[in-house]
Amino acid sequence: MAILEVQGVEKIYSPRFGGNKIRALNNVSFTVEQGEYVAVMGESGSGKTTLLNILAALDKPTSGEVYLDGIQLTKVKEKEISAFRRDNLGFVFQDFNLLDTFSLRDNIYLPLVLLGLDHREMKERLSPIAKMLGISDILEKFPYEVSGGQKQRAAVARAIITQPKILLADEPTGALDSRSTDSLLHIFSLINANGQTIVMVTHSVKAASHAKRVLFIKDGEVFHQLYRGEMTREEYYRKISEALTLIMSGGEEL
Amino acid sequence: MNGKNPTKKGLYARLAADNIRKNSQLYIPYLITCCLTAAMLYIITSLSRNKGLIGMQGDYALLEILRVGSIITRIFAFIFLFYTNSFISKKRKKEFGLLNILGMEKRHIARVLFMETLYSAVISLVLGFGFGILLDKLLFMLLRKMLGGSVKLGFYISRYSLAVTAIFMLITFLLIFLNSLRQMHFAQPAELMRGSQVGEKEPKAKWLMALLGAVLLGIGYYISIVTKSPLKAISLFFIAVLCVIIGTYLLFTSGSIAVLKILKSKKSYYYKTKNFTTVSGLMYRMKQNAVGMANICILSTMVLVMVSTTTCLMAGMEDIIKTRYPYDFMVSYGTAKSIDIEKVLKENGVNVTRSQSYTSLEFAAFCKGGRVYAETSANSSASIDDVYELAVLSTEEYGKLVGEDISLADGEILFYSSEKGLDFDSLDLCGKEVTVKERLKSFPNEKTYNITQKMGVVVSGEDEVQRLNEYQQGVYGENASFIQNIYNFDVEGGGDESVKHLLEVCLAGSGRYMMIDVKYSAYDSFISLYGGLFFLGTFLGILFVMETVLIIYYKQISEGYDDKKRFEIMQNVGMSRAEVKRSIHSQIVKVFFLPLLTAGLHTAFSFPLIRRLMLMMNMNNAKLFALCLLACFLAFAVLYALVYSLTARTYYKIVSK
Repeated sequence: MAILEVQGVEKIYSPRFGGNKIRALNNVSFTVEQGEYVAVMGESGSGKTTLLNILAALDKPTSGEVYLDGIQLTKVKEKEISAFRRDNLGFVFQDFNLLDTFSLRDNIYLPLVLLGLDHREMKERLSPIAKMLGISDILEKFPYEVSGGQKQRAAVARAIITQPKILLADEPTGALDSRSTDSLLHIFSLINANGQTIVMVTHSVKAASHAKRVLFIKDGEVFHQLYRGEMTREEYYRKISEALTLIMSGGEEL
Repeated sequence: MNGKNPTKKGLYARLAADNIRKNSQLYIPYLITCCLTAAMLYIITSLSRNKGLIGMQGDYALLEILRVGSIITRIFAFIFLFYTNSFISKKRKKEFGLLNILGMEKRHIARVLFMETLYSAVISLVLGFGFGILLDKLLFMLLRKMLGGSVKLGFYISRYSLAVTAIFMLITFLLIFLNSLRQMHFAQPAELMRGSQVGEKEPKAKWLMALLGAVLLGIGYYISIVTKSPLKAISLFFIAVLCVIIGTYLLFTSGSIAVLKILKSKKSYYYKTKNFTTVSGLMYRMKQNAVGMANICILSTMVLVMVSTTTCLMAGMEDIIKTRYPYDFMVSYGTAKSIDIEKVLKENGVNVTRSQSYTSLEFAAFCKGGRVYAETSANSSASIDDVYELAVLSTEEYGKLVGEDISLADGEILFYSSEKGLDFDSLDLCGKEVTVKERLKSFPNEKTYNITQKMGVVVSGEDEVQRLNEYQQGVYGENASFIQNIYNFDVEGGGDESVKHLLEVCLAGSGRYMMIDVKYSAYDSFISLYGGLFFLGTFLGILFVMETVLIIYYKQISEGYDDKKRFEIMQNVGMSRAEVKRSIHSQIVKVFFLPLLTAGLHTAFSFPLIRRLMLMMNMNNAKLFALCLLACFLAFAVLYALVYSLTARTYYKIVSK
């Protein structure tokens, strides 16, 4: 079953003071199945971030439609959009986006507090997640007291504690060292194995090679896609690299 | 080709000018403050030396007040400028870090900083002096008018004041510059880059400090409420002020955090949408702003107390003079036989419209445990609280004054006291057991002096007055009082020098025991004293308000920059814009209006003590004082809210950029 459907999405930015219009996305269509793990790759300026913002309902497409679990995103009312995102989407950002005034525990609780849950239920929900992410011992620490990898794991916990329909990750390994990157990618695979749908935008071939499918975007269009299928990680990694090289060198359809 | 190929020196100057322009949001309010401070310093120094005020009635008191005022103004101006600048240097650390990383050495940055300071100094001195000279003339005319002098037009520039103010401002700027250098010198570039964001630790609750703060504040309030004797009020006033100031700082810094910690530990309260971000947000805000808030609170209280007391004195001056001088002329002399002054006056064509004459005895006495006695301070065991000014009247004299026929048996008295709680039925009056036949609600001429507590007794006859006189002469010896003949009267038109002269001639024989109080000459000295205080109160009030506004402004701006990131994150995690705005708004309102409310509370509690002090200045109108306080508070609150709404706009602009 498709949980996310993107149909002919177009995004055109008109500069405020005249000038040429910029076409950031051009007829993008794809679907993401329930439980899938999709990586979106592309150069800087290819339109990845625009796409992610549209999926996250932070931005509206100029034309085309996005359906999340059958709900048309453009039809959600402006007033309800925050609540909609809170209920259906989880976010992981490159720079963690943790509030420095909260302990890790309170950072993770934030969306639940907004949902109006009882604090005992919050605790119940957090404990298995914290165990899985290996952050049970540092929950009372503050963001400035822990490493980047630990911060990002807390951010992941915050994203999945609401049991979102889809987890959107924007360059989640961008600010991490290689060891923390490995550990975070392992965690992503783990939560995906538990049934969590993930869409991750990334530059990193290594990160993408953990996904089940990679979408390549170039000049605002879906240029190519690769399924992992029965490939080993190493093979998959090589395939992704080749595809990227081809895109970079300006090659046409594979 | 200067523009295209600037010399090195020109580069620093241009960089400095650019910096000021780029940081205009920070710099403009600072420069305005500098200008106004320079202007105010110039004005008060110039006025205190203005020859135009010398030779006017009461010039001495006024000039003395202005001189002391100029010193106070300088002290506060220095603190304010330093403090204001610290906001700017904190915000600019990052910029200097960047310049440092881009290859500017610290000494180069120091030169840029120096140029910036120089520009600030030049701008504030030129504009400040211009403004100051204009305003100086205006205030001078106002003061002269207040003292009843004629007003001449034309400009007056005080070179002395220009020099003193310029030197003062330049020294201040130099110290500010050196302080910025010191801060920069000890910091590493990376540290500078991080600037104000260093060390976001959650504040720890300091319970002991919070408790101490509450206790000190309590002591301050307690002193104000309990102190009865005006003499004691003077000495205790400063202790109370000190207690309240320290208490305020401790409560704002530690108490607020302690309260928030308690709220945070209550899970069912803390984990609610409307409390969650507010409580933790407030905790950080308090950590960063507690001192600033305490400053605002103290400054506001000072403004309120200063402006309201001086306004009250000014507004109540008529009242005060009437209380202090119930008659145009008040004469007392100590000869055994009374002189018929009225007859002398009549013979010289002075028309007396109202008069009273009587004899009375007044001396200092202690009242303790139903015993009234005299004692020299050397071997006194009583406290200053027990000192009273005792006025003794015989039944004949009292009857004459109140217009009633009164008789008392031997050993009976009528008793009056300005203080509550002395409701004896019988007492030991200087070694004689007497019964109180009646407690009086008032006593003739009791209000003329208010420095001490008052007690009045009406005794059975002349003999008893004599007995008491001998008693106090026995105790006090050379310093003893004497039975006075008192003659108080009004004349048509209030009287003049000639009436006073007449009295002096008439009483020439009564030697050192003669005293003449004249109402009309008191007017001038009162106007100059209270007018001077009023002027200074308003003047310092303006300075303090200016600084309060500035602190508020910088607080809003620096919080805006800190909140910007938080604002974004909260939206990213799924809070709607409206929710975020509501949460931040509720925090800001609390942080903003807490100092105002506390200042209001301080002022309210200062009321009893300050009223006691005002009594010494013959200000007995509690209603007028309360009214002045209330009016000042309301005016201040309106101003405060106005500043809030203006700065809040800047704040939201920063946050939602």
